[in-house]
Amino acid sequence: MRPPFEQVARVPVSRRALLRQTACGFGLLGLRALLAAEETRDPLAPKKPHFRARAQRVIFLFMHGGPSHLDTFDPKPRLIRDHGKPLPFKRPLTFAEEQVGGLLGSPFEFQKRGQSGIEISELFPNLAQHADDLCFIRSMVGDSVAHGGALMQLHTGTNTFTRPSWGSWVVYGLGTENRNLPGFITLKPTLFHGGSKNYSANFLPAAYEGTAVGYAALSPDDLEQPIQYLQNTELTSEQQRFELQMLHKINRRAAERARFDPQLEGRIQAFELAARMQTEAPEAFDISKESEATKKLYGLDGEETRDFGWQCLVARRLSERGVRFVQASHTYRVGNPVGWDAHSNLVPNHVGRAKQVDLPIAGLLKDLKSRGLLSDTLVVWSGEFGRTPVAQSGDGRDHNPYGYTSWMTGAGVKAGFVYGATDEFGYHAVEDRMHIHDLHATVLHILGLDHKQLTYFHGGRDFRLTDVAGEAATKLLA
Amino acid sequence: MRAREWTGRRRTTYLILAISTIGSANLAPAQRPDSTEFFESKIRPLFAAKCQECHGPKQQLGQLDLSRPEGLQRNTSAITPATQPVLVPGDPNASLLIRAVRYQSDIKMPPAGRLSESEIADLTRWVELGAPWPEETKAGKIKTRAPGQPITDEERAFWAFQPVTHPAPPKVRNESWLRTPVDRFILARLESQGDTPAPPVDKLTLLRRVTYDLTGLPPTEREIGEFLEDSSSGAYRKVVERLLASSRYGERWGRHWLDVARYADSTGVDEDHKYPYAWKYRDYVIDAFNEDLPYDRFLQEQVAGDLMPTQGAGEVNARGIIATGFLALGPKLIAEQDKKKMFYDIVDEQIEVVGKSILGLTLQCARCHDHKFDPIPTRDYYSLASIFASTKNLEDWQAHVSKLYFAPLVPSEIAERYYSHQKKIELKKQEIANVVDEQTAFHVMRLLPQLPAYLVAARELLGTPAEEETEMARSVATAETTAAPPAKQVLASVSMKYSLDAALLTEWVDYLKPIKEVRPHLDRWRQADSAALQAVVRAYQTDFEKTATKRYDDLSGWRAKFAEAVAKGEETPERPRFFDGENRFFTETTAAKGPLGVSKEERERLFSLGAVEQLARLDNELNELNSTLPPKPAMANAVAEDKPIEQHVFISGNVRRLGDLAPKGFPVVLAGDDQPAITQGSGRLELARWLSSPNNPLTARVMVNRIWQWHFGAGLVRTPNNFGKLGERPTHAALLDYLATEFVRSGWSIKAMHRLILFSNAYSMSTEVDADNYRSDPENRLWSHFNRRRMDAEEIRDSLLAIEGTIDFGMGGTLQTGTGMGMTTTSQIPPFDVSTSFRRTVYLPLRRSNIAKMLTLFDFGDAVTSTGRRARTNVAPQALFMMNSKFVSRVAKGLTRRVLAERGTPDEQRVRSAWLTILAKEPSQIEIGEALVYIREFQEGAAEKDFTEIEGSRQQEGHHLSADQPAYYYGPSTLAAWQSYCKILVASNDFIYIQ
Repeated sequence: MRPPFEQVARVPVSRRALLRQTACGFGLLGLRALLAAEETRDPLAPKKPHFRARAQRVIFLFMHGGPSHLDTFDPKPRLIRDHGKPLPFKRPLTFAEEQVGGLLGSPFEFQKRGQSGIEISELFPNLAQHADDLCFIRSMVGDSVAHGGALMQLHTGTNTFTRPSWGSWVVYGLGTENRNLPGFITLKPTLFHGGSKNYSANFLPAAYEGTAVGYAALSPDDLEQPIQYLQNTELTSEQQRFELQMLHKINRRAAERARFDPQLEGRIQAFELAARMQTEAPEAFDISKESEATKKLYGLDGEETRDFGWQCLVARRLSERGVRFVQASHTYRVGNPVGWDAHSNLVPNHVGRAKQVDLPIAGLLKDLKSRGLLSDTLVVWSGEFGRTPVAQSGDGRDHNPYGYTSWMTGAGVKAGFVYGATDEFGYHAVEDRMHIHDLHATVLHILGLDHKQLTYFHGGRDFRLTDVAGEAATKLLA
Repeated sequence: MRAREWTGRRRTTYLILAISTIGSANLAPAQRPDSTEFFESKIRPLFAAKCQECHGPKQQLGQLDLSRPEGLQRNTSAITPATQPVLVPGDPNASLLIRAVRYQSDIKMPPAGRLSESEIADLTRWVELGAPWPEETKAGKIKTRAPGQPITDEERAFWAFQPVTHPAPPKVRNESWLRTPVDRFILARLESQGDTPAPPVDKLTLLRRVTYDLTGLPPTEREIGEFLEDSSSGAYRKVVERLLASSRYGERWGRHWLDVARYADSTGVDEDHKYPYAWKYRDYVIDAFNEDLPYDRFLQEQVAGDLMPTQGAGEVNARGIIATGFLALGPKLIAEQDKKKMFYDIVDEQIEVVGKSILGLTLQCARCHDHKFDPIPTRDYYSLASIFASTKNLEDWQAHVSKLYFAPLVPSEIAERYYSHQKKIELKKQEIANVVDEQTAFHVMRLLPQLPAYLVAARELLGTPAEEETEMARSVATAETTAAPPAKQVLASVSMKYSLDAALLTEWVDYLKPIKEVRPHLDRWRQADSAALQAVVRAYQTDFEKTATKRYDDLSGWRAKFAEAVAKGEETPERPRFFDGENRFFTETTAAKGPLGVSKEERERLFSLGAVEQLARLDNELNELNSTLPPKPAMANAVAEDKPIEQHVFISGNVRRLGDLAPKGFPVVLAGDDQPAITQGSGRLELARWLSSPNNPLTARVMVNRIWQWHFGAGLVRTPNNFGKLGERPTHAALLDYLATEFVRSGWSIKAMHRLILFSNAYSMSTEVDADNYRSDPENRLWSHFNRRRMDAEEIRDSLLAIEGTIDFGMGGTLQTGTGMGMTTTSQIPPFDVSTSFRRTVYLPLRRSNIAKMLTLFDFGDAVTSTGRRARTNVAPQALFMMNSKFVSRVAKGLTRRVLAERGTPDEQRVRSAWLTILAKEPSQIEIGEALVYIREFQEGAAEKDFTEIEGSRQQEGHHLSADQPAYYYGPSTLAAWQSYCKILVASNDFIYIQ
């Protein structure tokens, strides 16, 4: 709704001045421009958090398919001891009811790492060097045993409906720091298991929609331009500026004819903003100026690590430029058709997948740290669920949303810390359970947002990312 | 966080507090006005800080939850009868709450330490006040309903549940303004507010407005010319009739309904399986609008078309079956493993779409509890659920990934013939596989004794892994070192040495040589030193034999049963499963390509003579069957009747917690308590009849409101999918009822509604608004002027194609192929590029997981829930599309070619032609002058730039340049300048806004 006339006086002078300049006039014309400013107020302008923010932005590293916590970050000696024996309690609902075997001891070796002595398996030799910076959550819980629901819940909080993505909620709550870039960017997202629903703004205004850069199957080399329609391949920048001036001339005349319609002025502003984005955004994605050492740090020189390394490097560049929420996805694509989804062949699957992400993630953390970004950036690593302690199909593991591991690092969380625990088989989270709702509440909390206050009125009621649940896990906060 | 900052909804009040009370029955209703503030400042924070850790949402020790009013009313029967009530409003001494905080009872709370005296005093005062608990709602002064509350008379009196009235059009002062009865309602309100209607719009703007409105397309230059020349009084009427008769009309208005029906071509959400026949429903909707199918019939068909009698002589009501796609095409998570939950999620989705789209009610809110605002008890919800749960939505909902249901559109015996023939083909294929299995088993067992020798020989040829490799042999890095194949002579000599077959040894070497894939099951063999090698290869043999014997025994036992079942014509038993991971060495070596397996080419050599002959015969039979397969019957994604079930209420929506029985029926507040029992079938037909009854107070109102909204940009009720308490009230209640009455009276003719509205003066007002009107009514709720409207995604794309002159008006059919989820269509291919098709946007495939970027960019939405009204945002990425997309550039180029096509045309005329094509508008002399200056200046600047692309296309055409091609006369800089100017017009506000 447009604000009542009385409110006009309260608009800050600077905006008034700015708009007077663009609307080239006084009196009614200036007034109209002010109204336009109110109506089309930039939905991405930075907003104050509810309380002190521990982190300014998020990098979310998504591991599609469900990495096994039992083979990476949650060692279970009991499984080694009882390898092959039946599970001594009733299995909860699982994805596949067939091909179930006995307990499966991890074929990977765990070692104590760093000062903290946190155990990490041999799958992550590079990440392990950062053990003292990581905050492991070994008690993650979700509600879906199937990928689709689990991805949706991780990304949107619900496995039943389609709702706004958590990246959208964050940008809705905080706006973004750099108006020349979108506030929520998702790199090479999967188009599967919910696809775009996982980064959609849904009922939130479209400005909060995640901007996809490429998609899972597209190699970074084939990415013509990072954001669709961002660049003009036909005209020089002078010609474009010339075009824009003419467009403004036509649009202004129309806006002057049509009185009291802030949409028109708003659209003129949108074109101005678009022009700025076009000038400045491509640079954010241009990794050609990065040093060879940096490229190597992220594994851009390795065939296996190139894809995710590119995502990690771009994620760093975007965070550096103030993009509020960046997601990198290690997901299903050619040469990696099932992601981490090791229903069988656990060893080759996890060796291959870990090799693709271990070095790039370690490189990202090192780089963020050396640039001082880790002090106000939160990094989150998670799959949509973990895997079962019992074997499936002989040498694989089924889905397990009842207890698995995610980790965070950077601003706002304790370093070299383990939060929560699963039972001795690694099936159920038993200590400090961290439901996905709680994870969302915790991440919002770290960003200075109270998940109960971050609401949006839609279809007759207030909605939250955490629905009617969720609690921030204050124990892991730094 | 101010939640509604960007909603664009009314937000005159952010937070209005309504007061409800705890234990209202025994409580004096009088509330002091400051009680809200008192509770919010003293009591709620106290509960939060001191009590909710143990008595809150997280845990409810002693069954108490002090975060919500109901949480204080514990079920006393569950605890000892002697226990005092926790709270007796008005009587602190009788309230355990107070005694506990005073440490006067056995229970002393909080246990960690007594509250301060002032806190205890506050609590005591609160109880004395009657324990008021203000309700927070942001929706206005609306009380939430208490659970189990019977429907009150007040609720029954809610406006939307009242029968539709037949109001007479009101009197007005300015009779001369009137054209249709609609105008009386509009003008009367304006006059009562002292407002005046905007002047009529000019002819050309009106033509553009109504053409987009009815067809979603711009008027052509010819249509503009004809209309401008026609000075008769019936000119406008003629245009409207022409547009209503055009097939383009159904494509536009059908699309409106498809929004409401949340139409898409895939299940979306999880695995995004295709609905291969969804398009038939879309085409049905378009046809229905074009034919002006009566709306009541339209609804009946969509809910129960499969149960309605056929109109013609055909045996199957194909059209009716297709129409039920309305129910069938919702989003579904068919890979969900909690199958019962999934089943009822689908039911819920159908209740939601029926509720919102037809009744304008949020019925789905009553799934877990009574509706919080509208008088829809949970029981009513499950009465409807009973109907949909008795309806077949899936072929096999209990399957691991549930199977979609495809309804045949041919008589059942024809469909049956096809299915049984297909079954024969399957059986024949299995027979073939069985022979192959049996022969392969013989072959493998024959080779088994020599297995150790081959493993030893291969090891000699491939060598031992290097020292560093053995350390972490499973590392991918080591596996990348692919050994060069051993030379032929070496191979020959080694096979001689061990008396082995050289060809077979080659196959073994091929299998065993290091490859990129990690194979932990080969580690033992690779890492064994020469002393251990013999023992290791024997162990491989033993393992292999164990697995092979078991597997082959299982299979041969099953083959016997299978053959028996086939002979008797019974259901064949399922083939015993084998898990590759049980013995990966066995799996890989016996695969057709493995060293022990038999490939198709090897069969003749390795199988018995009898088996080879048998296979030849079976192959012939299979070919015969394949060639006589009857054509696949036409299908639809539709619903059908299933076994009627008795539905219980699910307590808290939990499918495992059964409450009372909920007999099939309709919401009591609308249909009354005394409903005839539904004793046969699913009840869908009864539901369809009830929904489409003229006596249903909502159906006609909801639809005429939609029609009004689609014409004017906003409805008379501005929440088109919610006519309940949280929805808005009508701005013109009498007009709404007048239209609803006329709708039913016209035989539910949507086109009759169009005429009623389009011929009104209200519709032909200009968008001009004066300062007074704007000040008093900034949202234009009184319709003092016409609302300027941004084009929607389809209008933008279709207009671009029309401007380019490439639009393909072919109707119907699908651009999507195949069934299933098809990884190739979701994770591997890019989102659909809308510039690659020339069909109208309504015909583009809509994969829910992957909707075309251009559509979502312009607020198409996500096709997951019923959309009553699309958002219309105005953001920078849309501007980028206009300025930078190759699509817009191509369109501008296409138009440039047409504009420049004729050599002698003066440039002024060309500018005018571009304006008419893109904007349906005459440029002024000043605008023409500006355009020519722009084109000249751009050209001068551009001449220096190398327009490789344009140059290239010019050269390409050079082979057959003719005088009618502009490239023949104009240099690349001229073309570029005109192209740029055309693009600017497309990007301008005059294009994207309908005035």
